[in-house]
Amino acid sequence: MKRKATLGRILTQGFLLVWLFLCLFPLYWMFTMSLKDTQEIFGPNSIGLPTRWLWSNYANAWGSGGRISNYMVNSMIDTVVTLAGTSLLGYMSAYGLLRMKWKGQKTVFTYLLMGMMIPMHAALYPLTEILLPLTKTHWALIIPYVAFNIPITILILSGFITNIPYEMEEAACIDGSGIYRTAFTIILPMMVPALVTAAIFVFLQVWNELLLASLFTTDSVRTLTVGIKQMSGQYQTDYGSMGAGLVIATLPTLVLYMCMSGQVQRSLVAGAVKG
Amino acid sequence: MKRVLSNKWSIMVFVLPTVLFFTYIVIFPIFKTLWYSLLNEIPAKIGDASRFSGLEHYITMLTPGRRNRFPGAVGNSLLYAALSVFIQLPFSLLIALLLANGPKGERFYRNTFFVPVVISSVVVSLLWGRIYKGLLPQLFESLSWQIPKNGFLGNANTKIWFSFIPSLWQYVGYHMLLMYGALKTIPGDILEAATVDGASGAKMAFRIQIPMIKPMLKVCLSFSLIGSFKLFDTPWVLLERANMDLPALSMYVEMFSNHKYSYASAQAIFIVAECLVFTALLNWVFREESEKPGKKPRFGKGLARK
Repeated sequence: MKRKATLGRILTQGFLLVWLFLCLFPLYWMFTMSLKDTQEIFGPNSIGLPTRWLWSNYANAWGSGGRISNYMVNSMIDTVVTLAGTSLLGYMSAYGLLRMKWKGQKTVFTYLLMGMMIPMHAALYPLTEILLPLTKTHWALIIPYVAFNIPITILILSGFITNIPYEMEEAACIDGSGIYRTAFTIILPMMVPALVTAAIFVFLQVWNELLLASLFTTDSVRTLTVGIKQMSGQYQTDYGSMGAGLVIATLPTLVLYMCMSGQVQRSLVAGAVKG
Repeated sequence: MKRVLSNKWSIMVFVLPTVLFFTYIVIFPIFKTLWYSLLNEIPAKIGDASRFSGLEHYITMLTPGRRNRFPGAVGNSLLYAALSVFIQLPFSLLIALLLANGPKGERFYRNTFFVPVVISSVVVSLLWGRIYKGLLPQLFESLSWQIPKNGFLGNANTKIWFSFIPSLWQYVGYHMLLMYGALKTIPGDILEAATVDGASGAKMAFRIQIPMIKPMLKVCLSFSLIGSFKLFDTPWVLLERANMDLPALSMYVEMFSNHKYSYASAQAIFIVAECLVFTALLNWVFREESEKPGKKPRFGKGLARK
């Protein structure tokens, strides 16, 4: 019996280690690729550590050739404004829908959540008609990003906002606080953890979005995902610079994940479990 | 108090902006797409050339023929769905079960397996593209395996399979985490009672743990099905320009390269309908399961008898 248990443990660890390897090896390869030249990648030292660490690949990708730096700034602007939008609109509507009492609140709630069932593809061409005049600005992406992420934000907030006791509003009301002051200075601070959870989910969606970004951006407002995809055409044969571009594009999310892996995991689980 | 919380004006201030914005950007375009899909063509400039053509596009789209590649694209998305449901999900479930039993390094494994999920699918696709060109050929050569003719992504028969691998690989961690989270919520005394009754390993998994996380399995299934029908990023990055071997790719090419807006709209509506139908199907399957008599106490009964 005891021997069997030990064997089971060894098999478990063996299996987990194999997947660990398959999980990390492509990423390891990406990092080493970013520091090698093309010859070395295709040579006998394809999987080893670089013999010479070519940091110049990063300068290539970041600077003149790829203009990754611009794309990074654009992605940041789009993401930050989108998060501000989803947080504000999401919180306000969650408050109105779930704290206040009125006829038809359930219907409107369901109506907004319905948006999650519908893929963006379905709205693509009509969205083009609305957004094409804006493609020289960041709004061409921010507007649809906010709109399509409102349902998930409301859903994540709804789980938290209904748990706050109504005594909060009662006390505030007795103290003479109006509804807006109650919503924004008393309930909102209590909702910060929920807002962070929602924001991380939306951040990953927006930062990694490709379809709309490839349609609705001109060069000056191009985002990182589209930029990096274009770069792959430009650096067809320069594997090292391409690898550096990939690493640069990955770092922001990777750093976020390493700093708060627990919170990121909670966000993505919260976003998955609908209703 | 009650008056404050049902003040019509403040409710409007809170809710109306979102509802109007959401309606204009999300809901209104969907109905517009539906309407466009029923027109013969959307003229770019001249207003009088479009007329109502009913289901014509849908019939064209679904009629098998040598030049119509849409049915094949739908078939490919079903193939991806099958790979996801029968390989990716069971594999994720296995990892989740192993991790939930608390092996050494549980946290480390969980956190690391999740890393690919947070990376952008574009980066993952481009990385795999380079792996297919720069790494795998060498590996295959050293093992003296045969490399597909014209490379992994250049061969008409195999490229679709290789374009599936990156996203299957990437999302194992997501499914694993969802299932793992659900497994961890099973109360300890149930597992303990089962252990006392002599359940362990596979028996514990199939009789107790898996039945108890059915709701989460449903979430995972609907994710992988809907994901398959919408699959776009990875194959779009990896396959050649204007590839139409998946529904979303086909729609994209018809819309933005061939400018057949109304025909592409029909394909878009088809994708949405496919998602809705499979969601409904899944709801139906899982409702049936829980309504079957004698299913619920199964974990107690099967073991007690022994």
